[in-house]
Amino acid sequence: MASLLDELGWRQYIGKESEPHTGEPVTARDIRRYALAIDDDNPIFYDEAAAKAGKYGGLTAPLNYFSWSVGVPGAEKPVKDLGEDGLSSFVGVPDIPRAWDLGWVRGGEELEFFRPVHVNDRVTVQGTLVDIKEKVGKSGTLIFVTSEFTYTNQDGELLVKHLITMIATPRKD
Amino acid sequence: MTDQIHFEDITVGQEIPTLAKSVNTVNITMYVATVWLMDRIHFDYPFAVERRGLPHIVAPGNMACDYYVQLLTDWAGERGALRKLKVQFRSFMLPGMTLTCGGRVTGTRVEDGKGLVDLELWIKNDEGATCVPGSGVVELPLRQAA
Repeated sequence: MASLLDELGWRQYIGKESEPHTGEPVTARDIRRYALAIDDDNPIFYDEAAAKAGKYGGLTAPLNYFSWSVGVPGAEKPVKDLGEDGLSSFVGVPDIPRAWDLGWVRGGEELEFFRPVHVNDRVTVQGTLVDIKEKVGKSGTLIFVTSEFTYTNQDGELLVKHLITMIATPRKD
Repeated sequence: MTDQIHFEDITVGQEIPTLAKSVNTVNITMYVATVWLMDRIHFDYPFAVERRGLPHIVAPGNMACDYYVQLLTDWAGERGALRKLKVQFRSFMLPGMTLTCGGRVTGTRVEDGKGLVDLELWIKNDEGATCVPGSGVVELPLRQAA
């Protein structure tokens, strides 16, 4: 019997690169609200004078803000165009067909930080699908999709390297 | 601001000061609204519970990375920096939980004149179970180089 992964035909996408995507300039309001949401009161996120005196010389975002500085590609759609889950077509990997035949959860991630995002930065992300594995266990089939995303700023400086593994299972409903 | 910690101050096996984070529906809503994350399991209680079988709405896994960033950036101080973070999502972070974020030094090394500290990391829920295990690398300033 062919495996689910064979049936989906996804192995051919290993090594596939996504088109680079560039976000709009990051604002002080974006950063301040994000810092409030994560309840991190470091003044370099909201106090311009303190931030200027600090090591980055200006307002910067919490380090883990990087991916949101680009936005989630395809997420900004009218409600009628979103899936029932509220999700867009983006699942943390460069687009692969039939991705929504399965349910996805985030497995784990590895981050390497080089520079923080500053106010007014325009951040670009480019992703590569680096690996797809299938595991068949007692609870059924799991498919692990690992992608690497590279984030750079408008000067081409490397901000973050982000390796993320998404786990897909056949939908139950 | 606390005093700057230095690489020479660190011994393998020591634990770093913990960070407590309260997870609640307001913080989760602030988060998904500000980053435009419209996955209904993060804000739609009936959908999360009845359709997805979850115990409550769940915090985005990303927030765990933010908690680790805060834990380690605060510890590293003005002259130190978080370099690497690796996390695994084991169980959900739910509203009502008070999480304890902590870490233990597993190794120290100097590479290219930089003091690097390896850490084992955890985010534990009220029952002491680890929701999001992790590991990290923090750079600390060398006292002797100053």
